[in-house]
Amino acid sequence: MRVQQGQWSRRSFLKTTAAGVAAAGVAGSFARIADAADGLRSIGLGVSEINEIQDKATKDLGFPVSGQAMGYGDMFSKMLNQNDQYEIAEGYYNDMDVMLPAKVWQPIDTKKLKDWDKVTNLTKTGRLTPESSVGQGDAPYLFLWVDEQGNKTKGPSQYISMCPAFHNADSIGYNPKATGKTIESWGELLNKQYKGKVALLNVPQIGVMDAAMAIEALGLKKFGDKGNMTKPEIDFLIDYLIPLKKAGHFRAFWENFGQSVNLMVNGEVALESMWSPAVAAIQAEGVPCVYAFPKEGMRGWHGGLAISAKVKGKQLDQAYEYINWWLAGWPAAFVARQGYYHSIPDNAKKFLAPEEWDYWYDGKPAAKDLSDPFGTVIIKKGDVRTGGSYWSRYSKIAVWNSLMDENDYLVKRWTEFLTA
Amino acid sequence: MTTVETYSTLTRTETAPRGLIGAAPPTHAEAEEVQRKYRREPGFPVPILIAPATLWLVVFLFLPLLSIFIFTFWKSTGHGMAPAFTFDNYRAFFVTEGFFDPSNPDFLTPSIFLRTLWTTFRFTISVMAICLILAYPMAYFLSMQVEDFKWQLALFLLVMVPFWTSYLIRAVAWLPMLGRHGLINEFLISIGAIDEPVSFFLYSEFSYTMALVQLYVVLAVGPIFFSLAKIDRTLLEAARDMGATPFQIFREIIAPLSLPGVAIGMIFIFVMLMGEFATAVVVYGGKTSTTGTVILNYYAIANYPFAAVNAFMLMVAMMIGVIVILRVVDIRKEL
Repeated sequence: MRVQQGQWSRRSFLKTTAAGVAAAGVAGSFARIADAADGLRSIGLGVSEINEIQDKATKDLGFPVSGQAMGYGDMFSKMLNQNDQYEIAEGYYNDMDVMLPAKVWQPIDTKKLKDWDKVTNLTKTGRLTPESSVGQGDAPYLFLWVDEQGNKTKGPSQYISMCPAFHNADSIGYNPKATGKTIESWGELLNKQYKGKVALLNVPQIGVMDAAMAIEALGLKKFGDKGNMTKPEIDFLIDYLIPLKKAGHFRAFWENFGQSVNLMVNGEVALESMWSPAVAAIQAEGVPCVYAFPKEGMRGWHGGLAISAKVKGKQLDQAYEYINWWLAGWPAAFVARQGYYHSIPDNAKKFLAPEEWDYWYDGKPAAKDLSDPFGTVIIKKGDVRTGGSYWSRYSKIAVWNSLMDENDYLVKRWTEFLTA
Repeated sequence: MTTVETYSTLTRTETAPRGLIGAAPPTHAEAEEVQRKYRREPGFPVPILIAPATLWLVVFLFLPLLSIFIFTFWKSTGHGMAPAFTFDNYRAFFVTEGFFDPSNPDFLTPSIFLRTLWTTFRFTISVMAICLILAYPMAYFLSMQVEDFKWQLALFLLVMVPFWTSYLIRAVAWLPMLGRHGLINEFLISIGAIDEPVSFFLYSEFSYTMALVQLYVVLAVGPIFFSLAKIDRTLLEAARDMGATPFQIFREIIAPLSLPGVAIGMIFIFVMLMGEFATAVVVYGGKTSTTGTVILNYYAIANYPFAAVNAFMLMVAMMIGVIVILRVVDIRKEL
């Protein structure tokens, strides 16, 4: 470009530069939009958002898949309010009461899911085996089926709200040395013998359910539906907990996985409501820890993969490819080594060593030392997973993580409990 | 360029005393000289100068705050909010069921949200008081007792050291210190002072207070230090010459002149503490609620209007607090 001498005043230079920068910026953002139209962004919890999984997907599928692990509250808000910021939501059925009416996700056509027939009945009918009980609260099958418009339907349909994938059942983790006995009931959480050595999960919706399990186990009250308590039931529960808290029964209320691990590793608590991967993390620190299988049953939760309502075209095809890839088993085997189950156990089995399958799914003693997904040995030869096989655990889910109708009231009373 | 140099030579008088900001004020003639050289340049009109900042504040502060206020009147749909004009959220914030019913046990009992705000406020005040008691002597020592500028700077930086690491690390660092098997307990057991580990060190109001003080005390040391350093030392000398006792000098000169720093430090701490919600989780084991946690909890269940009411009331409480502090100390006048 030839520049005539004297034509360039400082101002025109600035103007041109500014225009150039702006043009480059606009072009850049268009390029970014174009980029985003290829590949998938998924958001969820650390349960399924693990670099190794998304990297493997990128490699297997030939388009970029990125993952973002978030805290529960942030994840929930982003899923609900910013569905243009992700294509895949690795969400949870207990949030469906909010997500379905908000229409933030699009119905998934089961005809496009290769292994749909192999998905177990846990999410289809609520019963993993014919003898299983369904469990109270937001059982996933209640929120699975939708019509083409994404409205809930009563029975099976061609469309589903979210493709079922990873799930687990939670209970109490304890240090057998500190408790001096095997914990077999939720009631132990409120046993005054453990005063000052108990921790609960500080998520009101889940914390109250664990407490309700305990109160029921102690025979203090029978709840109509622990997954959807009435105001008087919530009142009874909180009014029972407040004096306990004042007496110093609870050592802490934990909010994230790391905290729950530290509490037990540091000897602050003898027992606490816990997520199952914490057991391995605590044992890795040299502190004995057992995951209880309470006789009242466990508290279940179920996650899956949903597609944002904004996704269309090529990305929609990619979204289905990604979901099919999840169902096919590689990621299922990956998370199995952290104790999570998958909706098509047979596909997970394909990617697990026989010893791994026997331990994680079949409830048999470990035939050799087993590693977590990252290669750290967490299971010693001979260890047995509490609660037996997958099928025996899931035949007896007492209650599912739920969003109650009285959620606002629950949060209010929980605040009161914590402030007391 | 030349004007800047002239200005700096003018203010940095030959007799500049020790200390960071201890420079003697310019004489009247010098001040006039500065004034002359710094007459406002014609060219950039004021509106242009303030436009960027104003625009920024309007778009990213004023409008969001206004929207929070507007949302307080909206209603929750369970999965979001819908425009409405209702006072229900305010009612839920202030009034409990049975508030107006003399036969109800909750008659005239303030709602849990009001009580939480009150707890937050009360706790903030007590932590502020402790911070002031600790920060003032520290700042006094730094500005009045340390002669050498280098040492002053070095020690001041040392005070700031905690700020070199992240907030979370500073809070988490208390755990191995205060826990049942923490350093303090192990030490007390090893010297035989106690037989059993003491549990109240951690996950208690004690640890909470301690962590907050440690996290925020620096915010007070800085401003107090600067306002103390600014005090004209000739005043102190004059007072001494007139036979004032050290206590009188403090009461009559140092204390009043350092008030702006105290006020600014207290405002910093006040605002930070009122919005606090994360420290309690780490060192208090989540065993308390602040208005910050209430906002989070309602945000987490998508009841945005009610979260907005709590945020708005927190803002009002903060504004009242700041106004009260500014009432006590007229910073404009003092500076």
